Formats: sequence, structure tokens, C-alpha cells
Amino acid sequence: MAEGQHSLRYIERDAVMHRIYPLVKLAWVFMVAAGLFLYKTPLSGAINFVILLLLTVFLGKIPLREILSSSKFILGLGLILMFFHLIADPGNVVYQLGPLKVTDTGLIQGPIFFFRLSVVVLASFVLIWTTDTRDLMVSLAKAGIPYRFAFAVFLALRFLPLVQQEVDAVRSAHAIRGRASKSSLGHRIKLWQRYMFTVLVNGLRKAEAAAAALECRAFGSSPTRTYVKDVHFHAVDLVLLIVTAAIITVLVLRERTGFLF
Amino acid sequence: MEKRGGWDFKYKTRDIVIIAVIAAIAGVVNTGIGNLWYLANTSLGPMGGALLQGAFMWAYVLVMWLVRRPGAAILLGIIETTVEVLMGNASGIGTLGWGLFQGLGVEVIMAISGYKKFGLLAAMMAAAGASQFGTVWTAILFGWDPAYAKDVWLAIPINLISGLVISGLLGYYLAKALAKTGLIRSAQ
Repeated sequence: MAEGQHSLRYIERDAVMHRIYPLVKLAWVFMVAAGLFLYKTPLSGAINFVILLLLTVFLGKIPLREILSSSKFILGLGLILMFFHLIADPGNVVYQLGPLKVTDTGLIQGPIFFFRLSVVVLASFVLIWTTDTRDLMVSLAKAGIPYRFAFAVFLALRFLPLVQQEVDAVRSAHAIRGRASKSSLGHRIKLWQRYMFTVLVNGLRKAEAAAAALECRAFGSSPTRTYVKDVHFHAVDLVLLIVTAAIITVLVLRERTGFLF
Repeated sequence: MEKRGGWDFKYKTRDIVIIAVIAAIAGVVNTGIGNLWYLANTSLGPMGGALLQGAFMWAYVLVMWLVRRPGAAILLGIIETTVEVLMGNASGIGTLGWGLFQGLGVEVIMAISGYKKFGLLAAMMAAAGASQFGTVWTAILFGWDPAYAKDVWLAIPINLISGLVISGLLGYYLAKALAKTGLIRSAQ
């Protein structure tokens, strides 16, 4: 992937989260997401959000600046979503500003959805920051997913920077042939149609060449394969799942039975 | 010419590579469209999202028309949304849900046709189906309750038309245009 294009990428660190088996981290993201759908009060989401933030900073060694830089867009969207729920959810009107009516249900549902979106996204960002894509693919193949399909994911990521290069090359080719640097929206849409088609044709040409090269190396002929860099599961990695399950259980029980606080 | 279509699950290496390459390209394009969609969807609700919802499925239709194997759309969906996750899609790993649901939408329509119909009508139906299936995931992720928000119901026809027109036509004609280049034998 083209580095520097965006801040969301694997960050190499000697941290606890980095050492955990990729599939355990993937299962953890799904567990966190599932827990969020069980909560019925904003407080549970908020507690989850804070715990996740602390985990990212201390166990993932991801700087807070990096977290904010990657999350600002989703946090903004979360706030808009919260506002939408504040005024759109039915219930007793507690505040009115012109045609906009804030309801009591909206006051609870709005923050719930803000934290739901923010926590799901932050958890998946943690997976991306702390997991090498190659390791994730190897662990998926070890889990029983046919390696040809796991390889397809890896191949798509390998092609990403090439797509960007291809777009730049096509754009330059158009510029050399006298394309106006500033033009109307309609003309720009037409240009993008041409870019897209050219990029697709060139991409498929590369795909044909890559497929031929892979088949020449007998890719897919054996049901199993070996890896240059292997990843290993350790039972201690499961602590992440156990602790997360315990936190979710406590938060859900707190909501349902009112114990603790 | 290579004969394709029907319930044939034997993927060749070439099929997998084609899916991977189109997933990479679609991931980049859809991440850009996704940012516009998020603004429309979160600020205007289901109706706003529905207008642009149909713009994401062109690659699903294109891949199904090029590869012509059952499961190709779901595979494309999962890989394409994985690319989107890594490109910084605002929904993080929740994005994979759209890949799965939209891919499933195309597969359902193609399964009804026995993976044998590859005309314009089938392309438009597949895109419309994918658009509608994708909205089911949106409703789960964004917490739309059809029992309360009537916009969810009103968005259904807009979703269908949006998918039908934008992705159905685009995916089909891209596949036809690519077939003319001679690069893809199965789509000729």
C-alpha cells in the first residue's frame, strides 16, 4: 500500500497488541462490535470507548495524535449521526428549536449510536495498526480458508499502489495530449470515465500476466503451502478475548440488573 | 471461446487474480464515493443514502459478468471492502458487512437465473438486488428501525432505482467494453 497516502496502515512496534495472534485480534474486533449491539445505555458505550482508547495507547503503543488523525472523520460522522437520532427518533419532546424537536428517546439513542460507530471503527483501526496484512492472510489460511482465496486479498493489497500509479500515468498521458487543466464538471466526469476504463484495461492486462506467472510456478496445485514468515498461536493470546468478554458481561449485567453502579 | 456459466465452482487462478485486481480498483473508487455517501446518509438519513447507494455495485456486476462463477460477487465484496477498510473507510471493519450483503444480493439474483443469464436485464436486477441488500446492513449498522423511521421504507424504491440505473448499466457496459478489447475471453 502506498505509504503516506493515509495514516491508516500497519505501524511496526514492539507492543503487546502486535504480538497477539492476528485471528484472535480479528475475533476480538467482532466481539467488541457484538457487545455494542447489546448495550442499551450510552454509559456502557462510553466506558467501552475509554477502555479501547487506553488499550490502543498503552498496549498498542499508538500515539494519541495518530488515533485522532485517523478517527477525526468518523468522529465527525458519529456526531452528525447522533444529531440525526436526537431529532428523528420518536418520543416526548424535551426541547424545540424551530421545526427541530429533540426527544427523550433521541437523547439516549443519539449517544448510543455515536459510541457504537466510534468504538466499532476504533477497534478495527487497532487491528489495522497492530497487524501486518501478510500475517493476517497466513493465519486465515491456517484457519482453513483456501490459501488461493487468502492470497487474493493479499494480491489486491499488492495491486493498490499500482492502481494509483496507473491513474497518475493516464492523467499525465492526457495532459501531454492537451487536456485542459481546468474544465467544466461534465468534461471532468467524461475524463474520469476514460481514466477508469484505461485503468481497468491495464489492470486486467497485468492480471493476465500475473495469473500466467503464478500458474508457471504451479500455484494452486498443492492443497497446502509453506510461508517465508510464519505466525504462531499462543494460548496466552486468548486473554484478550476473555477480558473483553468479561467487560461486556459486566456492562450488560449492570444495565439489566443495576448491580455495581 | 471458453464456455462459462452455470453452477461451476472451479475457480482458475486467472479468475482469482481478476477478482483481486478489480477489487483493488473498486476499493479505491468506492472509498471516494463512500465519503460522499457518508455525508448524505448521516445528514439526510435513509433517503440521502439511498440516492448514492447504487453507485457501489458496479464492480460486483462487472466481476460476475467477467468471471461467471457462483460466489464471485461475494468474494469480490469481501476483498473490495477489505481494501476499503485499509484505505480508511469510516466504518472500519463494519465495511465488510456491505461487501458480504451486496455480494449476496448479486448472488441471489444470479442463482435464480442458474448463473446462466448474462444480459442487460440480469445485470440491472443484480445491481438493484445488491443495492437493497446493502441497505439492510446500513440499517443494522446505523440503527434504523423500520418500525419508527418511515424513511427506511420510502428509501426502498430509491435504492432499487439507484442500483438498477447506476451500477446495473455501468457494470454491464463496462463488461461489454472490456470484452471488445479481447482481454477477457469469458465475457465475449
